[in-house]
Amino acid sequence: MESSLEFSSSLTSSTLPPPRTRIFKIIVIGDSGVGKTCLTYRFCAGKFPDKTEATIGVDFREKVIEIDGEKIKVQLWDTAGQERFRKSMVQHYYRNVHAVVFVYDVTSAASFRSLPAWIEECRQHALGHEVPRILVGNKCDLRHAAQVSTEVAQQFADAHSMPLFETSAKSPQGGSNDSDHVEAIFMTVAHKLKSQKPLMLSQPANTVTLRGRDQEEEEQRGSWGCGCWRS
Amino acid sequence: MATTEHTKPGRQFRKTSPDSEHSEPWKRHIILQLKHRDKAQKIAFQDVIRSYVNLLERCAQSAVITQGLLSSPRSFSSSEDLSSLKTATGELAYKVVELQQQIKNKDTFLERQHARLNETQVKLKAVEVEKDRLKSDVKVMTDSNLLLKNEYDTLRERCQHLDEDYRKENLHGSVLVEKMVHMKEQAAARMNHLNERRLRARQAGLHKELEMAANKTLNIDKAPHSVSLPSSPLLRRKEGGENLPSSQTRVFRSASVTSPRLLGSIRGLFEKKRRGNSVSSLEEDVFTPIGVCLVARVPNRVIFAVDAHELGINAVRFGPSSNLLATGGTDRVIKLWEVISGMLHHRGTLDGSNAGITSIEFDSTGSRILAGSNDNSALIWRLDDSVPKFTLTGHSRKVTAAKFKCNLRQVVTGSGDRTVKIWDLGRAACIQTIEVFSYCSDLVCSEYYIISGHFDRKIRFWDSRAASCTQEVPLQGRVTSLDISPNHREVLSCSRDESLQLVDLRMSNTRMTFRADGFKCGSDSTKAIFSPDGSYLAAGSADGTVYIWNINTGNLETRLPVMHRTSVNAVAWSMSGEYMVSVDKSRCAMLWSDI
Repeated sequence: MESSLEFSSSLTSSTLPPPRTRIFKIIVIGDSGVGKTCLTYRFCAGKFPDKTEATIGVDFREKVIEIDGEKIKVQLWDTAGQERFRKSMVQHYYRNVHAVVFVYDVTSAASFRSLPAWIEECRQHALGHEVPRILVGNKCDLRHAAQVSTEVAQQFADAHSMPLFETSAKSPQGGSNDSDHVEAIFMTVAHKLKSQKPLMLSQPANTVTLRGRDQEEEEQRGSWGCGCWRS
Repeated sequence: MATTEHTKPGRQFRKTSPDSEHSEPWKRHIILQLKHRDKAQKIAFQDVIRSYVNLLERCAQSAVITQGLLSSPRSFSSSEDLSSLKTATGELAYKVVELQQQIKNKDTFLERQHARLNETQVKLKAVEVEKDRLKSDVKVMTDSNLLLKNEYDTLRERCQHLDEDYRKENLHGSVLVEKMVHMKEQAAARMNHLNERRLRARQAGLHKELEMAANKTLNIDKAPHSVSLPSSPLLRRKEGGENLPSSQTRVFRSASVTSPRLLGSIRGLFEKKRRGNSVSSLEEDVFTPIGVCLVARVPNRVIFAVDAHELGINAVRFGPSSNLLATGGTDRVIKLWEVISGMLHHRGTLDGSNAGITSIEFDSTGSRILAGSNDNSALIWRLDDSVPKFTLTGHSRKVTAAKFKCNLRQVVTGSGDRTVKIWDLGRAACIQTIEVFSYCSDLVCSEYYIISGHFDRKIRFWDSRAASCTQEVPLQGRVTSLDISPNHREVLSCSRDESLQLVDLRMSNTRMTFRADGFKCGSDSTKAIFSPDGSYLAAGSADGTVYIWNINTGNLETRLPVMHRTSVNAVAWSMSGEYMVSVDKSRCAMLWSDI
């Protein structure tokens, strides 16, 4: 409580970026223990965490990145994988989300098998197809113990039209040796969001001229309200 | 002699350890054996002794006989007798020798027996020593066993304690997890909220910039336009040429033309509201109670339902224009909704409260919202700004009710700290504090009087100028809410005795009571209301039902179908009489209508 309060207050006052900084809310979901926390920590802190415990509810991690000279704040929602720690939170996860990162563990076939359930949850929360999703296979430094082959994963990713990345939060030497693969993945997402976003932003700019305040609200409803309506 | 010697150790043994007699069969066995031997040996010696005694007797007899013989020969002196006596003596002597031999035999036998006896006694002693040793062993054993048992017992006790502790900690852990999840949930809601706010701020900033850009380019724009009026093709081409490089500004220009319209449309939204109010009176006359509803339509079905807040909803109000609705929840925010064709459309969120909202009121112009909050303050927002314009702090407990006075320049708040405060909005300061004796759960006010409902089961009337209690109306239960009728002649109270009371303001002893089977106040702040035409009463019950009474008949008009899953906290009826909204503890808001 203490920390979250501190966190949010600091958000509102000191670290609140100028309103022009865009925020991309990206949620990271997947089974318990696939390394969601490690991935997000790796991206935001640049290193592998010494030890992690099961995430309760959600942890927020933020990183300001610069794409084409524009500062963008990536807000990662590191969600809890264990059902008992996420129960009532799910609706908050999906509200106004800009992108979804599905994570599985290449050394655990079970975590791969439960991906459809996660995708289904995503669908239930009325996430449109315009929301980018990516699939990340974590822990690929443990190649020898791998249970999920790249081919199978690629097929799955193709079937759900998601790009697939295999990486390791621990030693993320991907294709290119020097760069941090984990960072590259999230940067890809951010790039995609950035290239996609202006379309959405320019739209209100044009239509607001016609509909004014209504449009602004309309847009909000379009993006998240649907989850709340009950017929 | 032998018998005593034999039995002695046995007896001693018995004396020394009478208690262990039954417990140690081997001892008994030894004794028995010894007794047996004793008996057998005694019998053997008895023969010897008996024969020895016989022999002695015979010796005595033979002495007597020999004396007799010695004397008799003098008397008889027959050689025959003598010879026979001699043979007899010889026989006897032989017998004596024989018997002596026998005695000797017996003696050796006796000796042997003695030796054996001694031997046995030695053995017995050894056995006894062994027994003592064993006994001490047993003692040591039992002692150590006792020690071990004690140790075991303490260990078991500790184990039980630890088990108990473990169970408790487990329970505690799960409670903590629950709490943590709850807090995280709030944090997540807050984060979403911040994101939304930032997005809004960003968009607002964008609009502002667009507007500014528009103003800047306006002059440049005008010139070509005025020039282009003659509309020569050459000039037009020129204009086109000019536009090509400045396509950027063109975008802005199109926005610029319309951004005043954007602002205008926002303004229009409020103006529309204001216009909506003026059904009954002049637009600018803010002193008159606005809006007269001719007929309220009793709703019969839910036409729209929405989970309006993150947490329970405590208060709901329609704005004077009937199409604007405000809901206030435990999640600290007020949400504004527009009713369009039977649907609730989210129109904005007012935040700034640090705790749950307890009450909401629109001012009669519909441009401001006043809310009481659990953070001991009352807040006022203008509808076009999500940040509160005023925050009235001074109460020491939660503000349960906040109302505008008719002149709109003053606000009256009631609080759990047993005071009612009057605030001047011009100075944003408290100008009067009235001690009201008890937890104030709700209040209504007119220009000159304040009526407050209390947990001590009383409704009190106050003269707001003199700050004196002019009247008290006792009820049967804690007052949960008050409402004043549209004509300001009656006040409605809802109390925890599951009844609604209608008190005539002119004759306060005239009262009407409304009850219904199944109607039950869900909380200490359940709100009951008048319909806008003043002919019905509506209140939500703990079971999720909304009850509507007819004032004219004094009977229950209808019991709306159960749609809420939890207790209904408040209801609101639109000024047009067309819609009713009920909100519940599980964050659901329902729009009712008769169509």
